[in-house]
This record gives sequence, structure tokens and C-alpha cells, in this order.
Amino acid sequence: MRTIRKWLAAALFLSCAFSFLIWSPSQAQTQPDSDIAVVAHPDMPVSELSLDEVRRVFLGERQYWNAKLPVVLLIRAPVARERDVVLRVIYQMTETQFKQYWIAKIFRAETASAPKIVYSNDVEYNLVTALPGAIGFMDARDAARAKLKVVRVDGLLPGERGYPLH
Amino acid sequence: MHRHMLLVVALILAAGTAWGQAPSTPSEGESTKDLLERIDKLEKRVVELEARLGPTAAAPSTAPMVSPAQNPTVVEQAPGMEHAQAPNSAEQQATIQEAETHYPNLAIRGFADVDFSATNQPGPVSGFNPGVSSGFNLGQFDLHLASSLSKKITYFAEVTFNAQPTGYTLEVERSIIRYDYDDYFKLSFGRYHTPISYWNTAFHHGTWLQTTIARPEMVKIGGVFIPVHFVGLLTEGNIPSGGLHLAYEVGLGNGRGSILSRAGDAGDVNNNRAWLVNVFARPAKFYGFQVGGSFYKDEITLPTGENIREWIASTHVIWTKETPEFLAEFANSHHQDLLTGQTFNTPAFYVQFAYRLPWLGRVLKPYYRYDYIQPPPGEPVLSETRYQGSTLGLRYDISNFAAFKAEYRNFQRLSSEPRVNGAFFQTSFTF
Repeated sequence: MRTIRKWLAAALFLSCAFSFLIWSPSQAQTQPDSDIAVVAHPDMPVSELSLDEVRRVFLGERQYWNAKLPVVLLIRAPVARERDVVLRVIYQMTETQFKQYWIAKIFRAETASAPKIVYSNDVEYNLVTALPGAIGFMDARDAARAKLKVVRVDGLLPGERGYPLH
Repeated sequence: MHRHMLLVVALILAAGTAWGQAPSTPSEGESTKDLLERIDKLEKRVVELEARLGPTAAAPSTAPMVSPAQNPTVVEQAPGMEHAQAPNSAEQQATIQEAETHYPNLAIRGFADVDFSATNQPGPVSGFNPGVSSGFNLGQFDLHLASSLSKKITYFAEVTFNAQPTGYTLEVERSIIRYDYDDYFKLSFGRYHTPISYWNTAFHHGTWLQTTIARPEMVKIGGVFIPVHFVGLLTEGNIPSGGLHLAYEVGLGNGRGSILSRAGDAGDVNNNRAWLVNVFARPAKFYGFQVGGSFYKDEITLPTGENIREWIASTHVIWTKETPEFLAEFANSHHQDLLTGQTFNTPAFYVQFAYRLPWLGRVLKPYYRYDYIQPPPGEPVLSETRYQGSTLGLRYDISNFAAFKAEYRNFQRLSSEPRVNGAFFQTSFTF
């Protein structure tokens, strides 16, 4: 009996330890029910945008916050839930259409570069706080925990009734 | 940070051992006690080390980055984000440096296509050599270059390599240096695709980007209905207009060269500069919709020495969503012979429908286009441009960056020429 308990204890310990080892912010981001926050550099001179304005910014039609501050777009890499929501709600495009859109946009000489691809919330945090003019998306709970500047969309914050990005 | 990790490890260990403890034996209780003592010692050791390293190691210096007023939903910091809140490590600094824009940052993208066509009419009437009615054709090999020279200065270029009977010709299609003041004023100089046609500035020479195999007749490369290229300066930007989202382009340049299909790259052929105005709207409420119009004025000097005043007015209505896709452009070219005062109006338009089918992974897009150009008799510049024809085709996107296209075309150029029926195939791609 004691041997069985020891084995069970060892198994529980190993599973806890393994869970701890593989736990990372990226795994913590899988929160399918939460809203997606628009996060921005702390010094960005905008704290509220309409959904149309967010779309214009992320379509590259608005490229400057003001004459001295260009917009720096951050987009999560494929598979991230933030990207799925952004493509569905903001761009209203499939993954293929999104890629083609930016190829065409650069080809038309409308912009010199596509959005920067971000592979984790950690990197998103680092870039959005380090790059002036940066704007991106993050799971609202992670954004709040990281104390990032969250931009209101249509006057609403994530979690409020009618917030469009979810 | 380390202390927190140790506490978590200790909790896991304690949970694991405690789970197996009841009812505990004296030896297991001693083991647990030993373990806890070791954890205490390690915790003390961590505190000592943190004290030696100073306050920066004990508390990540992120406080200045946070504005509580901007974070009404702030909750306690999650352990997982702790790592992100200390962007001081070499790795994080490297990530940031890598993401920062460095100048110049040249990026090159290419487009190419290979075509096959077969028609019922041999020879030049179908676009072939005399006596030939089918064959392969290497389309344009197109390279696009984009480079930011600074935060506000960008250079764009497009060059094509074109197959000719004696080899390849290299053509600088676009070469533009642009200074951005803000979204409302951007000034550029160089060689452009004249922005008086939606197609001319939306797809350029990238056949992969366009749904169909070929450009509409009114904006075809090498055509003369509109001046496809423009050398000079261009100002462009958004117009404050609320949800209408207006934008403008105003240009001044050389206009057509001595060869009418070419811009005056090496200098104007007369002392009259061409100018253009293009205004379009992308209303916020109709995402994917664009409507616009433009005017272009120039004075053409024909090889015969005749001077012709040229006014081109055009308009376009576009729906870029692919379910459906709708492109329509209309233009009127007004020419006035400055010697005789005689005037000529040549209307031209195309209407194109396409629909991305929802099946088979959305890789199929059937389309139809009708092209029309009708110059009046005696037109001094556009007499050879008559064209009426239909195009029915299917685009198959093999991958995100390559496509097959197959078309049936029925068209007639000059009324004295026979009607042509033909099958056209293309594989186009970007790389």
C-alpha cells in the first residue's frame, strides 16, 4: 500500500513539475473566451479609436499618429488567437488574403513594410513598450496583468458590453 | 523572480509529498521536515544573493512604464508576465533591436508568369508572329524594390525584363523617392504608373496580383489610350473627411513622350507639362468599396508635328471583397487638334466580375470581363485602339503565392479585322 502511495506521489510530483516546466506565458494566452485588447506604446497620443479607425490603422491607410510619430504595427504570428480575431474582425480576410493584401500594399508603394510579426505575448509586451508608435493586440487579461496601455475601441474597454474584438 | 520560482517548486514538492503522506509514518515526516528546512535555507540564500545584487535585481524596474490611469482594468500581475515585465535581459534587448527599423532596409519581391495561348486567327491580329496561331510566351519578369531610407523617406522601384525576338529588354517601370510629412501630405518624385486608372496603380506589372491573365485593354502595357507612365512629381495623402475617407493625388510631369505609349523619361517633347488630379473615397461603412475619379491634361506633340491637347477624365467603382469582386472603370479621352480646332471624344470602359467560390478551400475564382474602346473616325491619336471583347476565365490559386488562370476570349480590334476566338493560359506567381 505504501509503495503504491509513493508511486502515486511521485507521479503527481512529476506531472506537477512537468506542468510547471512547460508552463509559459504563451500557454497562458489560450483563453478563448476573453476579449482582445488593442495595446499601444505608453506615449502614443491616442487612447481611443473607433473600430473603423483601428481598421484604417491596421490596413496601413493611417501611417502616422502625428507628423513626428509613425505607426508601428504589431501582429501576432499565425495560430495565435489574437491573430484570428484581428483577421476576422479587423481585416475581414482569410490568412491568404491577409498575406496577399500586404504584398500588394508594398507593391503599390503605399508602404515600405508589412506589420512586424510577433511570436509571443512576451515579445509583444517588449515591443509595444519599447517601440514608439507601436500598436498591437493582446488577450485582454494578459494586457491587464502586464499593465499595458489599452486603447478604447468605440469608447469601450475589453470586457465591457458591446466591445467588438472577441 | 528566483524566490518566486523557488516558492512554486517548494509548493509543488510539498503538495506532492503531502498527498502521499496520510497517514504518515515517522520516517516520511522526517523527510518532509528535512525538505522544508532545505527550502528555508535556499530561500535565505536567495535573499542574501538579492541583497548583494542590489535593489534592481529584487524588483523589476517597470513601474515607470505603467500608467494606472490608462489601465482601469489592471489586476495583480501574473507570474507568467513577470518575465515580460523586465525587458532588460540581453535576449529581450536583442529582440527589440531586431524589431527596430534599420536604414536602409532594402526588400525585394519578384513576380513572373508563363503563358500559353491558341487562337483561331494566326498572326498579329491575335498577338502572334505572322502565320503563328499558338505558342508559349514568357511573360514579364518583374522585380519590385522597397527601401526605407529614414523614418520618413522611402524609395520604391519596379523593373521588368521583357522577352524580345533578339533578347531581353530591361525597363524601369517605376522609380519613386517619397517624403512623408504625415498622412495628409506625401511628396514624391520619379517615374510612376499614372494614377488616373485604378488598375494601373493597383496591380502594376504583377500579373499574380490581378484576377485575370491580362490587363484591360484601356490600360494595357504599351497601349496609348491612357499614358501608362508618368515622370514628374506627385503629392498624395488623406483628406480629412470623417467616415468618407477621401484621399487625393496631384501630379505634375512630362506627359507623353515622342513615342506616345511612353512617358518622357529623358525629357518632355514640348514645353507643356502634364498635370493630373485623382480623388477617391473608401467609405468606412462600406469596407472594401472604393469610388473615385480623375482628370489628366497634357499637350501631345505627334511625330508629324501636330500639337494635340489631351484631356482624360476617368472614374472607377471597385468592390475588392472577393465574394463578389467587382471592378469597373470608365474613361473619356478628349483630344483637340490645336491647328484645326477639331475635337474627338473616345470612350472606353471595362467591367469585371469575379467570385471566390467557397468550396475546395476557396482556391477557385471564376470571372468575366467586358472591354470596350471606340474611337471616332479620324481620331488623330487613338484611331488604332478600337477594341470590343469578352473574357471568361477561371483562376485557381495553387498556393498562397502562385496561381493558374485559364481564359476564353472573344474579341475584335479594328472593325476591318476578323473576330478572334482564343484560349489563354497562364501560371503567375510571386517570390
